[in-house]
Amino acid sequence: MEMNNQPIIQVKNLCVDIKTDEGTLTPVRGVDFEIRPGETLGLVGESGCGKSLTSKAILAINQKKCVSSGEILFRDDKEDTVDILTLDPRGKQIRDIRGRQISMIFQEPMVAFSPMYTIGNQINECTRLHITKDKKESKRITLEMMKKVGIANAEKRYDQYPHEFSGGMLQRALIAMALVCKPRLLIADEPTTALDVTIQAQILELMKELQKELGMAILFITHDLGTVAKMCDRVAVMYLGKIVETGTAREIYKNPQHPYTRGLMGSVHKIGTLKADRLFSIEGTVPLALNLGPGCGFYDRCLDRIEGVCDKADPALTCLGGEHCVACHKCRKEGV
Amino acid sequence: MTMQEKKALRAQQRAEKQRKKEESYYLASQWTLMARKLGRHHLARVSLVILAILYLSALFADFIAPSNLTAYNSKAQSLPPTQIHLFHEGEFIGPFVYESAWETKKMSVKEMQAAKKAAQEAGIPFSTKQIVTDTTTPHKLRLFVEGPAYKWLGLIESNIHLFGTESGVGVYLYGTDTMGRDLFSRLLLGSQVSLTIPFAGTAISFVLGILLGSISGYFGGKIDNVIQRVIEVLNSLPSLPLWMALSAAIPPNIPPVQMYLMITVILSLIGWTGLARVVRGKFMSLKNEDFVVAARLAGVSDMKIILKHLVPGFMSYLIVSLTMGIPGMIIGETSMSFLGLGIQAPATSWGVLLKEAQSVTNIAQNPWCLIPLIYVVIAVLAFNFLGDGMRDAADPYK
Amino acid sequence: MEASATKAEPRRNPFSSPMARFIYKRVLTFIPIMLIMSLLIFIIIQLPPGDYLTTYIAGLKAEGQVVEEAEIAMLKEQFGLDQPWYVQYFKWIWNIITDFNFGYSFDFGRPVWPVIAEVLPMTIAVSLITMLFGYLVGIPLGIYSAVRQYSLGDYVLTFIGFLGMAMPNFLFAILLMYGTYIWTGTAFIGLYTEEILLAVNSGAMQWYHVLVHPDFWARMTIPILVMGTDGLCGTLRSMRAQMLDELGCQYVLAARAKGVSEARIIYKYCLRAALNPTVSGLSGMLSKIFNGSTISAIVLNLQIMGPRLYDALKAQDMYLAGTILLVMGFLIVLGTLLSDIVLAWLDPRIRFEGRSAD
Repeated sequence: MEMNNQPIIQVKNLCVDIKTDEGTLTPVRGVDFEIRPGETLGLVGESGCGKSLTSKAILAINQKKCVSSGEILFRDDKEDTVDILTLDPRGKQIRDIRGRQISMIFQEPMVAFSPMYTIGNQINECTRLHITKDKKESKRITLEMMKKVGIANAEKRYDQYPHEFSGGMLQRALIAMALVCKPRLLIADEPTTALDVTIQAQILELMKELQKELGMAILFITHDLGTVAKMCDRVAVMYLGKIVETGTAREIYKNPQHPYTRGLMGSVHKIGTLKADRLFSIEGTVPLALNLGPGCGFYDRCLDRIEGVCDKADPALTCLGGEHCVACHKCRKEGV
Repeated sequence: MTMQEKKALRAQQRAEKQRKKEESYYLASQWTLMARKLGRHHLARVSLVILAILYLSALFADFIAPSNLTAYNSKAQSLPPTQIHLFHEGEFIGPFVYESAWETKKMSVKEMQAAKKAAQEAGIPFSTKQIVTDTTTPHKLRLFVEGPAYKWLGLIESNIHLFGTESGVGVYLYGTDTMGRDLFSRLLLGSQVSLTIPFAGTAISFVLGILLGSISGYFGGKIDNVIQRVIEVLNSLPSLPLWMALSAAIPPNIPPVQMYLMITVILSLIGWTGLARVVRGKFMSLKNEDFVVAARLAGVSDMKIILKHLVPGFMSYLIVSLTMGIPGMIIGETSMSFLGLGIQAPATSWGVLLKEAQSVTNIAQNPWCLIPLIYVVIAVLAFNFLGDGMRDAADPYK
Repeated sequence: MEASATKAEPRRNPFSSPMARFIYKRVLTFIPIMLIMSLLIFIIIQLPPGDYLTTYIAGLKAEGQVVEEAEIAMLKEQFGLDQPWYVQYFKWIWNIITDFNFGYSFDFGRPVWPVIAEVLPMTIAVSLITMLFGYLVGIPLGIYSAVRQYSLGDYVLTFIGFLGMAMPNFLFAILLMYGTYIWTGTAFIGLYTEEILLAVNSGAMQWYHVLVHPDFWARMTIPILVMGTDGLCGTLRSMRAQMLDELGCQYVLAARAKGVSEARIIYKYCLRAALNPTVSGLSGMLSKIFNGSTISAIVLNLQIMGPRLYDALKAQDMYLAGTILLVMGFLIVLGTLLSDIVLAWLDPRIRFEGRSAD
């Protein structure tokens, strides 16, 4: 691990707006977090809460109709800090960061590769773009990484097409593509959801090993709390475009404060509990991030809501001590 | 009731309404949903209105057209569209027309020579004839005037036409052709052919496509192989030459109705292949679905499975692809008639009318002979846009 | 013929690469398709009532020409003209395969093949030029339209695309001719100027000489536009739709996240995938060109195959009409074969599955 414990990325008040015919949607409404070198931050939430948009905003690869605002300060390997949001999303500077400094693993490995080119070609493209133009050298680096992620018979696999790979193998190849340039930050956007359970475990194990070896930071995006527990040092829980609770993984698991986090914990099946309890489920659905009222985003679904308080103002993230912060009127009132 | 109660009640009512609206959305059939989505597609909506106007005017063509197919006026050949005036000698007397006709110019030898020279320099053919408009007598336009007799839809005999002049002086909204026939009337009457052939042809394609496609897809094996090869062959032949070759086989001098039917059949012979492929593909993927296997185990006959369980599953898709096929048929009929291989006189269609536009000089002199072209393009565009809109509407992911 | 020769060899697959195996498989399906096609065409040209030979002899006699009984007897014997249609069909096919004899043109009074051979090179040349025009203009415009979706240029191109598909090409020809007539004072009719025509007829000029003549290219402009616009607009539309589909794919995002530039994403990844329907539409494009060239019979009077077909159909010259249809069909099937091979080269999945994805 690096000795320098300055965060390599700081996201400050990140908002993403999408212009639609019916009005402006704001799926990400002011997100703050930071990640330190070698650390894994888990970003947890239901589908549609804005996790993916947040992660794509970091690479500035959201669609054109998505407008990001706020600050994303990234510290590269030369210790220079840039605000990614100020860069031209098609320009050279951001392209040098993508793949080289920050890279990303996608949810569905089956569609993350173009079916038209061999796996080797597509991984090697990354090497050639960022490390060396030399054909032999870059192929050597690529093959080395392919072996490292556990692709057996890498020389043969190099010339095969995506449709000749299994899902798990493709995810390994995708990881190889993301890591071949040894980035400082890896964004893993639900990297195991499309895979079988046994393969999921292998992939997670692989990511952990490689993290240790390469010393990179990981932003791990998931809706699966089990994975979070296995992978992450710290956790940020996101709801309706905002972070509602953040803390070390241990704190969040042992002592969840926000009613939403507690709901999430309740809906996980715990092995070893003797009582055949019904799984807890949170009533209702995530509202559309359009014309939201002034109150807390979770108000409609919250079991502990305080009428007259929670529907009037949106609670701010308040620290409860240590790393543990929560955005809830109730928790503040009770003065935990 | 306190204010608060009232408020709560109103909120409750609102919630109820919202719930009902949502419910109607979830319970609405696929067709209702499609219609709703189509209504939101601007171009498709406009196209639908245009097509409705075209088809309605074709339906009532006998009534709307002031003339019929056979009437002609030898003094009114190649007249430009008749102008409709409102003021006669500075006085407002309502809409009326003046009579125009070709007459031989009276001029001296000197004048003629000068005119000849002028014509030569301008590069236009010299003629001693000219159009003379009689501006002394206005002929008032009237609604529901008597004109040539017709039998509407072969049922109702009448001689009432939507508009015309009492004196019988021609009102040529789109001018006249080289034989002195009213282009507007012929256009409307021709649209009865040009706009219905695609529909009849589509209907035949539809039946052929579903039948052969489902046989091919459901039974597979040898039958499938043969049908697929035939489709491949038909797709490998250019459509227009094939249509021409087929229509060359139509015996000459047969009654118009038979001619119409034969052209329709010829056009539809090629249209079914695309549909059959789609149906086949759908069958291939659907036939091993559980509900089909269940039906077969329950002893339902093959034909019944096809018609009752499989076809409804992709009906919307079929209708869309049929709509997309109509423009091709309109163009096909127009092209064939234009080449003299389709509809023949005395019947008429847009293609027949466009024969007048075969020579450049004729267009230069009577540009209004291109008006049928505008109708063809508008009809084809409207069907294209409608098809586009329907495709979007039928796509559940949009 | 080819097939039986390969079969006779011991069962050893000479094709090791999937690509070669794919081509071999496709070529094998070529033969049955051509046979079915010839049968279909023969039935169609057989449809019109009456017997050609009788009409032909009657026509000759009416013109007061001497009818060579020997020649007629030979024709009857050679094509089985007094026998049922299926016998006639087999004789026709037999003559084609063994003798390369496609029958006799009653209208021209000589065998069919030379009549077609006169116009065949020019037909192929004109079709290829038109096709090239359609692709070279249609593909870039389609890409532009997709990359700049909802821009002014996209709207204009979309409008033109729809209009081009809605406009029957014969009328387009008329409008273009009318336009040039107004601007230049001459209507460009026919592919050859009188000077070229004379040289061609006297044999002083071959078709490939014509191709490099500047006057020919001036004359070609309108026919290319007329025959190519339909296909061009089709290419433009399908290219745009496909490019938009591809641009929305996850692998584009993945490539972007790798740091690949936008231009490279478009040309390396999207274009190759988006070309699929355009390439598989190659035969469709060819058949559109044949449609266009046939209808230009009246309007443009080109010295290519389409007008000959029109005349042959009008004169009920069955062998000529049938052979022209057969040649057109052959060219289109050849085009399909070619496009399948290109597709397999473009898309590795097809190569491995051994069939085209349509």
